[in-house]
Amino acid sequence: MRWILEGKVIVITSGKGGVGKTTATASIGAALALEDNRVVVMDMDIGLRNLDVVMGLENRIVFTVVDAVNGVCDTKQAAIKDRRIKDLYLIPASQSDNKDVLEADGMIKLCDELRKQYDYIVIDCPAGIEKGFQNAVAAADEALVLCTPEVSAVRDADRIIGLLYARSITPKLILNRIVPQMVERGDMLSHDDVVEVLSIELLGLVPLDENVVVSTNTGIPAVLQKNSPAGEAFQRIAKRINGDVDLPIEVPRSGRGLWKKLARKIGIRRKGA
Amino acid sequence: MHEKLEYAERGLKMKFKFFEKLKEKRQRKKSASGGIAKKRLQFAIIYDKLEVSDTMLQSLHHDILTVISKYFEIDRESLKIDIKPTEDLSSLVVNTHILRAKPASAKKKKIASQKIASKKQ
Repeated sequence: MRWILEGKVIVITSGKGGVGKTTATASIGAALALEDNRVVVMDMDIGLRNLDVVMGLENRIVFTVVDAVNGVCDTKQAAIKDRRIKDLYLIPASQSDNKDVLEADGMIKLCDELRKQYDYIVIDCPAGIEKGFQNAVAAADEALVLCTPEVSAVRDADRIIGLLYARSITPKLILNRIVPQMVERGDMLSHDDVVEVLSIELLGLVPLDENVVVSTNTGIPAVLQKNSPAGEAFQRIAKRINGDVDLPIEVPRSGRGLWKKLARKIGIRRKGA
Repeated sequence: MHEKLEYAERGLKMKFKFFEKLKEKRQRKKSASGGIAKKRLQFAIIYDKLEVSDTMLQSLHHDILTVISKYFEIDRESLKIDIKPTEDLSSLVVNTHILRAKPASAKKKKIASQKIASKKQ
């Protein structure tokens, strides 16, 4: 059954580079597709494409987003179908161009076309606040700001949030790479701290997870891995995006201590979990 | 009897150790870097948003000093200007040590002499 008649354009952005935008885009896209949606993920990091390798689709690129915008191919030709997950597609970035080859108008036209074919269009935004960012957010209906609990990432996130507000987009926050032990020790910004500093709605919390490295090594999305805390977190985020707004946000906890382990097994969660 | 005493002593020592550890933990929490990060961020973000330049802050500092020292004798070194986050506004906080108020007579005399000076001109 199809509830959504017109696709939603979601941009994943952060300002700072290296906080996990590409992994988050791949994971959320894959998780949304696993929830029976038609999903296309689009790499807007033109000149520095990576979403294709993260998804394991680097060998099958023929056309790119630049071709799709310029009318060299149609949108169906530009989208590469994922073999593992049904109804998941990738429109890769071009590696030989730079970010100036696209204009916001072209992006808006392309996204309007994609809206007719997909339920979700998930855009991987490049780092920075220049033209690449402007193009990536031009057609966005929603924005997810990805941030790690570090001062540099939070400060950049604040800047990005300001720029998104200026475009009348109210973003939501995903906090990535949380190390629960450090938060409990007081040596890492807690999610409450970050939410307070940024005054933004929280969408999900993702723990630091070695499985993510393994998943990018192999090109298999983290959401397909078993026992991957980050993969599970992204699945919950996708469910929340997909309309399950009452799904509680799970706070990553350190697994140490017999009582904590037991409590988790039985299903007792502490306050805020 | 002696054995018992030793036993009790050991127990006491263990208790002390426990409390010491607890204290240590609490101190570590206080000096933990997460809180420092939060405070630094809050300030950085406010300054980013207001786009306050250093030169502007310096001239503000100077102007406030001259205005206050008209009425009070102050420790000029102690004047501190901060922009602090409150719930939905940022507030400008000026702190200074006041040594004493300037005597009214002195002020009047000064004003009077100023008036005379301006009349002469």
